[in-house]
Amino acid sequence: MRALGIISFEDNTANIEGLCDHRPVPAIAFMGRYRIIDFILSNMTNSGISNVQVYCKEKPRNLIEHLGDGKHYNINSKRGKLRLLYGEKSFSSDVYNHDIANYMLNMQYIEEDPNPYVVVAPSYFVYTIDFNDVLAQHIESKADVTMCYYNAKDAKTSFLGCDVVKLDKFKTVKGLEKNRGKLKSQTVSLEAYVMTKKLFIELVKKAADTSSLYWFKDVLADSVDELNIKGYQVKGYVACLNSLPEYFRVSMDLIDHNTALQLFKSGWPVYTQTNDSCPTTFAEGSKVSSCVVANGATIDGTVEHSIVSRGVTIRKGAVVKNCILLPGAYIGENAKLDHVVVDKYAIVHHIKKLEGTDAEPVYVARRDRI
Amino acid sequence: MRANSMVAMILAGGRGSRLYDLTKKVAKPAVHFGGKYRIIDFPLSNCANSNIQTVGVLTQYESVLLNSYVARDHYWGLDTNDGGVYVLTPRERDTANLEVYRGTADAITANIDFLDNIDPEYILVLSGDHIYKMNYDKMLKYHKERNADATIAVREVSLKEATRFGIMNTNKDDMIIEFEEKPAHPKSNLASMGIYIFTYKTLRKYLVADAKNPDSHHDFGNDIIPTYLKDKKRLTAYRFRGYWKDVGTVDSLWEANMDLLQDKAELDLGDATWKIYTEDVNALPQFIGADAKVEHCYVTQGSVIDGTAINSVIGTNVVIEKGAKVIDSVIQPGAVIREGATVTRCIVADDIEVPAGATFGSKNSKEIKLVAGQESE
Repeated sequence: MRALGIISFEDNTANIEGLCDHRPVPAIAFMGRYRIIDFILSNMTNSGISNVQVYCKEKPRNLIEHLGDGKHYNINSKRGKLRLLYGEKSFSSDVYNHDIANYMLNMQYIEEDPNPYVVVAPSYFVYTIDFNDVLAQHIESKADVTMCYYNAKDAKTSFLGCDVVKLDKFKTVKGLEKNRGKLKSQTVSLEAYVMTKKLFIELVKKAADTSSLYWFKDVLADSVDELNIKGYQVKGYVACLNSLPEYFRVSMDLIDHNTALQLFKSGWPVYTQTNDSCPTTFAEGSKVSSCVVANGATIDGTVEHSIVSRGVTIRKGAVVKNCILLPGAYIGENAKLDHVVVDKYAIVHHIKKLEGTDAEPVYVARRDRI
Repeated sequence: MRANSMVAMILAGGRGSRLYDLTKKVAKPAVHFGGKYRIIDFPLSNCANSNIQTVGVLTQYESVLLNSYVARDHYWGLDTNDGGVYVLTPRERDTANLEVYRGTADAITANIDFLDNIDPEYILVLSGDHIYKMNYDKMLKYHKERNADATIAVREVSLKEATRFGIMNTNKDDMIIEFEEKPAHPKSNLASMGIYIFTYKTLRKYLVADAKNPDSHHDFGNDIIPTYLKDKKRLTAYRFRGYWKDVGTVDSLWEANMDLLQDKAELDLGDATWKIYTEDVNALPQFIGADAKVEHCYVTQGSVIDGTAINSVIGTNVVIEKGAKVIDSVIQPGAVIREGATVTRCIVADDIEVPAGATFGSKNSKEIKLVAGQESE
C-alpha cells in the first residue's frame, strides 16, 4: 500500500483515569496480552503499510520498549520502518502539546517519506479495518480527504467527547461537532483519515499558522466547505477507550468469545510484544469461569468474569469478580475484589475487600501495596 | 556479549518411533511439549542461557518442519552477530553420494568442515529429545578444571534403572574408567545423559580415525568413548542434579507433561532466570467460558474452553467444547474436543478433532492412549 502510516494521539479529553498517570493511552495493557496500540498498528501492517510513524504525546518509555524496531508487528527490517516520534519541546505544556506541534517538529520525516498517501489514525479507537478499502474508496470518489466514521448506537454513554460527523446523503462531511451524549445514535469520527501526503502537510501547516492551540481535527472542521471530505463507514466492533469506565466496559464486553471474535478476525492477526511466559497454572481447587486469561499466571482462587493478564497471581481463597488484573498483579489470600482494575505489579494483600461499580470501578495504582 | 569458545551440536535426526503417530510427519525433537513448546526448545534454550551462540542442529528424519523451525534462531535469542543456528543435514559431496548419518559420531564427522570453519576450542554434543534445564557453561568450567579430554554428564539412577542406561563406572575422583551399555549387573548408578563436552582438537583426531574404521558403528557411546578409555584419555563424569526426562515413549511424554502440574514442580518453566524460549505464536489469550470447569491444569494461549478440563495440559489453540471432558490428558496444539466427547488418560495429537460424543481412554488404563486418528473406541 503506497501510504505512510501515521499513528496520531488522542486529545486531552481522553483520560483513562489512574492508568494514564503511568503511561499514555496507547501503552495501556488491554485484553490480557496486548497494549491498546497493537490494534491500530496491526491494522496498518496487515493493510500492507510498511512505513509507520507513531507519535507519542508524553511518557515515551513504555512505548519505546513495547514497539522496539517493529519486527514483531511484521514490519520488514530492511524495506520498512517504524519510527517513534515525539515533540521534545512540547512535553512540558499540556495545551500546546497537540498533534500539530508534534507533526511540525518532525516535519522532515513526513516530507522525506516516498509514499504519495498518508493514513492517519489514533490508537484509542479499537477496531479492525483494511485501509486498502479506504484508499480504494478515496481514489474512486476523488475526495480530498476520506474520514472513517462509525454508526454508534450507544452514543449517550460511549464515545463521549468524540467528534460527531455531519454527513449529507452523498456521505460528504458537512461539519464536525462534539458528542455530548444527547442522542443514542450518532455517526462518530474515528479520527482516521486518508489523503495525499501533500494535502496532509498543507493542512498541518495551515493549522499551525491559524492557531497555536489547533489540533488536526480543528483544521479539518474549518475546511469542510473548501475541501471535499467524504465519509467511510466502518462496520463491526468499534470501541473508544477514552475513560476508565469505558475501558472497563469494553474489556468486560470482550470476555464473551463471540463478541471478541468480531474484533479479532481470522487472517487479521493482532501483533504484540511477547515475553516468553510459560502457560498458566490453574491449581487444584481453583474456580475460573467467563474469563480471558493470558499466559504465565498462577490461579489458586476463584475468578469470574474477569481479565487475567500475563504473570498475574491469584492466591487461595481469593474471589475476583468483574475485574481487570493487569500484568504481574498479585491478589493475596482471601481477598475479595469486585469491579476493580488492578494496575501492573500492584499487590492486594492487606485489604481484604474492594468493591467498585460499572460506572466507577476501583483503581489500584501501579506497584501499590495495599 | 561475547560467547564462550564452545559450539553446540544437537543430534536431532532420530525418528522416535516409539512415539508412533506423533512422529509420523515430524521428527521427535519437533514434537510439542508442555502446551506451547517443542522438545528441541529445551536444548536450544539451555544453549542460549549458557552463553553458547553457535549451534549446529543435525537433522535427518522428516526434517522439513524441524529445519525451518530451528533456522529461526531469533526465537531463542541465538541470532547474534557471531553466532546462529545452523541446520546440518546429510549432503551429497564431490567424492561421495548422498549418505545418511551412520551414527552419532558420524553425524559430527560429516560436518568437520563446518566445525573447522568456526574453529572452536570445545564442542558440546547434545541430544534433541530430552526435557531438562542445564547450564552447559558450568559443565564447561568443570571440564576445564578437571583438565579433561571429554566430560560426560551423568545422573544418579537406582541400580534397578541402571540396566536401561549407558553406565559410567568411575573412580573416587569421578574419572571414568569404564563404560557399560545397559549392563545386566551394574557396578555404578551413574547413567550417561548423552551430553558430552569434548576438547575439539583431540576429538577431531578420533573422529577422523573412527571414520576409517570399517568395524565401527560410528557412535559416541559404543565407539568413541571406549577408544578414548582404551587410550587412557582423561574422561570425567559431570554429575547433574535436577529434572531430566527422556520423552521417547507415549507414556513418558505424558508423564513429563503431568510433571508440570505438580505443586512446586521440579521442572519450573516459569523461572525467569532460566526461561525456555519457543516460537512466538500469534494466538489470542485463553477464553474460559461461563460453564467451563478448569481445575489443576496447565493451559496456554489461544485455547477456548467451554467444557471441563481436569488434571491436564492444554496446548495452543485447543478447543474444548461444551459438555466435553478432558481428564488426566495432554491435548497437543490445535486439537479440538467436540461437544460431549470424553478423553481420559490420553495424548491427543496436534490438530486432531475428537468427534462429538466420542470416548477415548479410561481412568484405569495401564497405558496412555494416543489419539492420532478419527477412530473412536
